[in-house]
Amino acid sequence: MARPRLGGPDAVRRLIWYGLVGLILVWCAAVPPAGGNLSLYFSLMMWVTLATGLNFIAGFAGYMPFGYVAFYGIGTYTTGIAVKVLGLSVYAAVPIAGGVGVLLALLFAPTLRLSGIYFAIVSLSLAIICQRLVSLLPEEITGGSLGINLGVITIREHGYYTMLLVLVLALLTASWLARSRLGKALKAIRDDPEAAEAMGVNVPRSRLFAWLLSALFAALTGGVQAWFTGALDPQTAFDVLITAKTVIYAMAGGLGTVLGPLIGTVVLVWVDELIWRSFPVLNNFLLGLIIAALILFVPRGIVGSLMQRYPRVRRYIM
Amino acid sequence: MNSVLLINGLLGGIVFGMVYALIGASLNVLCGVLRIINFAHGEFIIAGGFFAYVMLTFLGLNPLYTLPVAAAAFFVAGYGLYYLLIPRLARSDEPETSSFLLMFGVSLMLVSSMIWIFEADVRPVNFSFDPINLVLFTVEDAYGPGRDGRVIVPTARLVALAINAAIIIAMTWFLYRTLPGKAMRAAIMNREAVQIVGIDIHRLSAWAFGLAAALAGVTGVVMTLVVPSIDPNGGADFTLIGFIVIVLGGLGHPVGALAAGVLFGLVEQMSNVLLPQAAAQMLGFMILVAVIFFKPAGLFGLERSR
Repeated sequence: MARPRLGGPDAVRRLIWYGLVGLILVWCAAVPPAGGNLSLYFSLMMWVTLATGLNFIAGFAGYMPFGYVAFYGIGTYTTGIAVKVLGLSVYAAVPIAGGVGVLLALLFAPTLRLSGIYFAIVSLSLAIICQRLVSLLPEEITGGSLGINLGVITIREHGYYTMLLVLVLALLTASWLARSRLGKALKAIRDDPEAAEAMGVNVPRSRLFAWLLSALFAALTGGVQAWFTGALDPQTAFDVLITAKTVIYAMAGGLGTVLGPLIGTVVLVWVDELIWRSFPVLNNFLLGLIIAALILFVPRGIVGSLMQRYPRVRRYIM
Repeated sequence: MNSVLLINGLLGGIVFGMVYALIGASLNVLCGVLRIINFAHGEFIIAGGFFAYVMLTFLGLNPLYTLPVAAAAFFVAGYGLYYLLIPRLARSDEPETSSFLLMFGVSLMLVSSMIWIFEADVRPVNFSFDPINLVLFTVEDAYGPGRDGRVIVPTARLVALAINAAIIIAMTWFLYRTLPGKAMRAAIMNREAVQIVGIDIHRLSAWAFGLAAALAGVTGVVMTLVVPSIDPNGGADFTLIGFIVIVLGGLGHPVGALAAGVLFGLVEQMSNVLLPQAAAQMLGFMILVAVIFFKPAGLFGLERSR
């Protein structure tokens, strides 16, 4: 792929992307005053953030973290414990949740030495270990298998706007990463680690950075989610389905593209809503069918396939 | 700790271990020949359990007689599933990771179909032998002077153990002594070379998929003898145990999985006796992570040939 020239197409792409982010910001910010469906928009923003965060490590660096939910779960628990046990303000708890997520990612960083399916299996196992560990900890801290009931901490809108802030940060990070030297290094690692190394890319440091960024956004999302819903328990906080949905949304749009996770999530969350309303019993069946069909027929996702079929599209989208 | 509990733990470990060995072996056939990771393997096993349940409840058939029927039905299903899913998958950029996701989708479909058909309750499989339990031997003064402890095993579990041993012997014979079995092992060792000597890799892979599905279905039937109930949501646990077993035994190494399965069964059952439940469950995953880090070829694995 040729380096984008300065000015020209890159300026157009950037204009379109920042315009889109601005539109999302205004649209989502207008939902509470307009009396829109807060929960629906909150979950939409949450999934876009998760899918965008996953894209850093899965799309740019090529590692599929099947235990991505571990960071989300640790984020929800950090908020829960900070507010309920330590008595901290929730506004302090969410950044702490992000920090704890990054620490956990540092702890798991040696797994990045593994590749392909070994990485996926170990990542999944670590998420399960986290879940069991949380339910083993003393009940005064984590609430055991019942979890923690936070109740209403602030008015709901505050949690909602914090999620919006995290979402915008994630989207801006994505476009920054795609254009940065680091992002190009990551893509080089994904396509051929040995060649990247030979060309002078610091492989361990680059992928560690992507890994920490991915974990940070998952943990922040979890932290805000606990605030917004006011309740958490080990079963739902560490549900494998959360990883699965995140991966699917990101893949549906196109891993490795900036726009992909956003488009994929918006389309599939909308489809999911339709399915829920029309066929509540077969919800998971159709979800499974969509996953299988996506992987068999559009493995590069909506945006990725568009870019492959119509290369001119690259001029307008990232 | 008294000896009766320990002996019961050991016996349970062997019975469960043999089941895990079978799960690992069938998962490893898929993993070795097709280079795919079957996330839906546990659901195949649960489907086998429901097969036994339906046969028993609606036709009054002893699950043991349904074994060959189950094997045939699951073989055909697996054979068909191969042609439906896998040839398309091979065209993707990263077949291994994609297969993980694809089979996750299949597993979601299977779970919700089973819940739709059988509802989300745990179904009992009321099938018993006469006598229900066998007293193997008596430990004198196990609970203090004059209070003997008896080591009791459900007859069904002993039957399951015997069937399992027979299936494992048959499978090993197939893999080492028959031509298709040798072709499968050859494909595990080197998929390209096998094609050069003129073996139709698609047909062989379809056979391997069918064989793995048949083994999984049979495992499900046998499982109803070990634990006489089926939970449509229980598949994920079997899948994860299967992952642990194949990683322990070496990815794509069917016989290594047998030893690893028995080992894992023993560890699990003994830690159930000795540790709190959540800790016992965690142990398996910790072993898995440790093995991948320190001995990625598996405990019994040869060097991975790709």
